[in-house]
Amino acid sequence: MSVGFRAVQWNRDKLIYDAILIAAVAVFLTAFTLIYWRLHPPKSTADAIDIWIRATGTAAFLMLTVILSIGPLARLSLRFLPLLYNRRHFGVLTFLVAATHAWLMVEWFMELNAVPDLIAEMTNMESYGKFIGFPFKALGLAALLVLFLMAATSHDFWLAFLRPPVWKALHMALYIAYGLVVMHVALGIMQYERTLLIPLMLILGFGIVAGLHVITGSRGLHIERGVALTPEGWIAAGPPLSIPDKAARIVAAPGGERIAVFRDGNEVGAVTNLCAHQNGPLGEGRIIDGCITCPWHGYQYRLADGCAPPPFTERLATYRVRLRDGIIEVDPRPLPPGTPAAIKIA
Amino acid sequence: MTRSHRVMHRLIWPALALIVALGFTLALVKRPPPDPPPAAEQKPAEQRS
Repeated sequence: MSVGFRAVQWNRDKLIYDAILIAAVAVFLTAFTLIYWRLHPPKSTADAIDIWIRATGTAAFLMLTVILSIGPLARLSLRFLPLLYNRRHFGVLTFLVAATHAWLMVEWFMELNAVPDLIAEMTNMESYGKFIGFPFKALGLAALLVLFLMAATSHDFWLAFLRPPVWKALHMALYIAYGLVVMHVALGIMQYERTLLIPLMLILGFGIVAGLHVITGSRGLHIERGVALTPEGWIAAGPPLSIPDKAARIVAAPGGERIAVFRDGNEVGAVTNLCAHQNGPLGEGRIIDGCITCPWHGYQYRLADGCAPPPFTERLATYRVRLRDGIIEVDPRPLPPGTPAAIKIA
Repeated sequence: MTRSHRVMHRLIWPALALIVALGFTLALVKRPPPDPPPAAEQKPAEQRS
């Protein structure tokens, strides 16, 4: 949480996360280069650059695959939440590795005094009409531009400036970038390298990412389909004790937006399911130190009124709740953010 | 995530999976045959000599 903007809010966890991340990337690049170097000893500087192009390209693809798997994995199992915590640094590092890959490719052409060939390849409009023979570097370049946009706007300043809904929509362009990267490899190196490893890497990587997203996307459908309204238009959330202590039951309002109904001992309150930070799923979080805690980045709010504890200023929309005939009911019309609405139950 | 983001997710991924699967399959099926082995390349040179 923040009361102002700082370049990076370092803490011990973030430092450990970044150290492990950088070490893993360095180990991968070194191992890839050494193994490839031994199997195919380079005969020239251009050959050596080619090995680094392959190493950084493979690393960028695998990193993108991991990044895109973290979100749905964290929805499926809370064990993956620590990976989500500092995902933006993972994304920025992926952009840097991908940018190095592109820079090495230009360096390779410069080494062979063949930069005009590169320009000719990228500007030959006729080849853009072909499928096999399509300038695959253009696909990689387009993906790199998307990664740059994501990295440049990853800071909380841009999140606050654009507002979470616009920022989240913008960052969904990463999915398109991943598709572009798969086709960049399929129409590029896969065309002239006969190894099975490349198609296997693409099938496994894209299959896992797409499968995870499709599964998690369909998981919450029952919440939106199962809206049970009382004659007065309130939502029945179930008996109080059926809501797990210090956790929530997520219900859907008639329009489809979700409401998180939390219970903390004998106190029950309802707030929007959207965290004020990045629209994270608050209802999948827990009550820690008396506050609703977002599972994504740990933003906290009081159950009583949806306000972040001082000195923080974020506020959530709350909902009226009542206990009727042993059932907790929620009024789906939101109250102004920060309105006290939680109730005590016997 | 807001409702509209969830809807966007549910639309994007099946569509992207279909397009990429189709593109990948075509790229795999239509790739050119491998280069002939070096021994076969030497034969015409031997004939020329």
